[in-house]
Amino acid sequence: MPGGLDIERIYDEHAQPLYAFLLNFARDEADTRDLLQEIFVKLTREPKLLRGVRDERAFLIRLAHNAAIDLMRRRGTREKTKEHFAVEAVSIFASTENPDEKFFRDELSVALGELPEEQRAVVHLKLWSELTFEQIATALDISPNTAASRYRYGLDKLRERLRPLYEEMKKAE
Amino acid sequence: MMNGELEQFENRLRHQTLRQIPAEWRDKIIGPTSSLSSLAKIKKMEAGKMSVLRFWRELFWPNPKAWAGLAAVWIFIFILNFSTRDKVPMGAGKVSPSSPDVMVQLKLQQQMLAELMGVNDLHEADRQKFIPKPRSEWVEILTA
Repeated sequence: MPGGLDIERIYDEHAQPLYAFLLNFARDEADTRDLLQEIFVKLTREPKLLRGVRDERAFLIRLAHNAAIDLMRRRGTREKTKEHFAVEAVSIFASTENPDEKFFRDELSVALGELPEEQRAVVHLKLWSELTFEQIATALDISPNTAASRYRYGLDKLRERLRPLYEEMKKAE
Repeated sequence: MMNGELEQFENRLRHQTLRQIPAEWRDKIIGPTSSLSSLAKIKKMEAGKMSVLRFWRELFWPNPKAWAGLAAVWIFIFILNFSTRDKVPMGAGKVSPSSPDVMVQLKLQQQMLAELMGVNDLHEADRQKFIPKPRSEWVEILTA
C-alpha cells in the first residue's frame, strides 16, 4: 500500500505476540479476537497513529494493553450487575502430548491468571515477547525500574506457586 | 532458591510454547479493515472539501454586508451593460429585402449610365471600378 498503512505487514509481524498477550488477559478466544480486531480497526481508521513511532512493537503492545484493561473494567462492571457464569479459562500455552509438560503448562497458565494485571503484563512481555525493561516501560508507560520490580515480584509469586511441581519435574529429569 | 535456580526457572518458563493465533483469523481481522481503509480515504477527501468550504466561509463571514454590497454593484454594472446594448437600433443590422421592381429599376439605371458613358458592355463598366492610386497622384488630380 504505497503511502498508506500496510496493515497486512503489521498483522504478519505483530499479530502473534499481540494475540498471546491479549489472551493472557482475556482468557477467552472470542474476547481476544474482538480486542485484536479493535486494534486493527483503530489502526486502519487512524493511520497517523503509527506515523513517527520508533518501536512499532512497543506501541502496539501499549494499544493492546489499553484494550485489555478496558475489557477487564467492562467485565468487572458486568460481573457486578449480572450473574457471573463460570467459564473455563483458555490456556495461553500450546497443547503438548507430554502429560507432565501439559500439567506444568496448565498450572503455569492458572498461576499467571492469579497475578495482578500489572505484574502479569510485565512477566508476559519479558518472558514471551522478549522485550527489554526499557521497551516494556515504553509500552506500559511506566519507568524501567518499575517494570523490573514488577517482573521480580511476579516471578517470585510464580516460583512460589509452582515450586512443588517444578522441583518434582526437576527430580524426574 | 538460589540465583542460578531462579535463572533455570526463568528459562523453563521462557521455553514454554505459546498458543498460536488461528490462521483463519487473518482474513476475518484484515478483511473488514480494507473496506474501512477506502472509507477513511473518502472521509479524507471530504475533509479536504470541507477545508475549502471553511476557507471561503472565513473569507466572507467577517464582512458579509461589504461582500453583498460589492456583489450588488457588480450586478448593477451587468444590468446597465445589457440595457445599453439593447438600445442599439434594431433595424441597423438588417438589410431590407429588395423587391423585384426596385431591382429592375436599378438595372435600367445602370444600363442608361453605361450608355451615357459610352461603354457598351456593362461588365466592362463594372470592371472600371475604383482602383486605389498612390496619394501623390491624387494630389496632382486635385491641384489640376
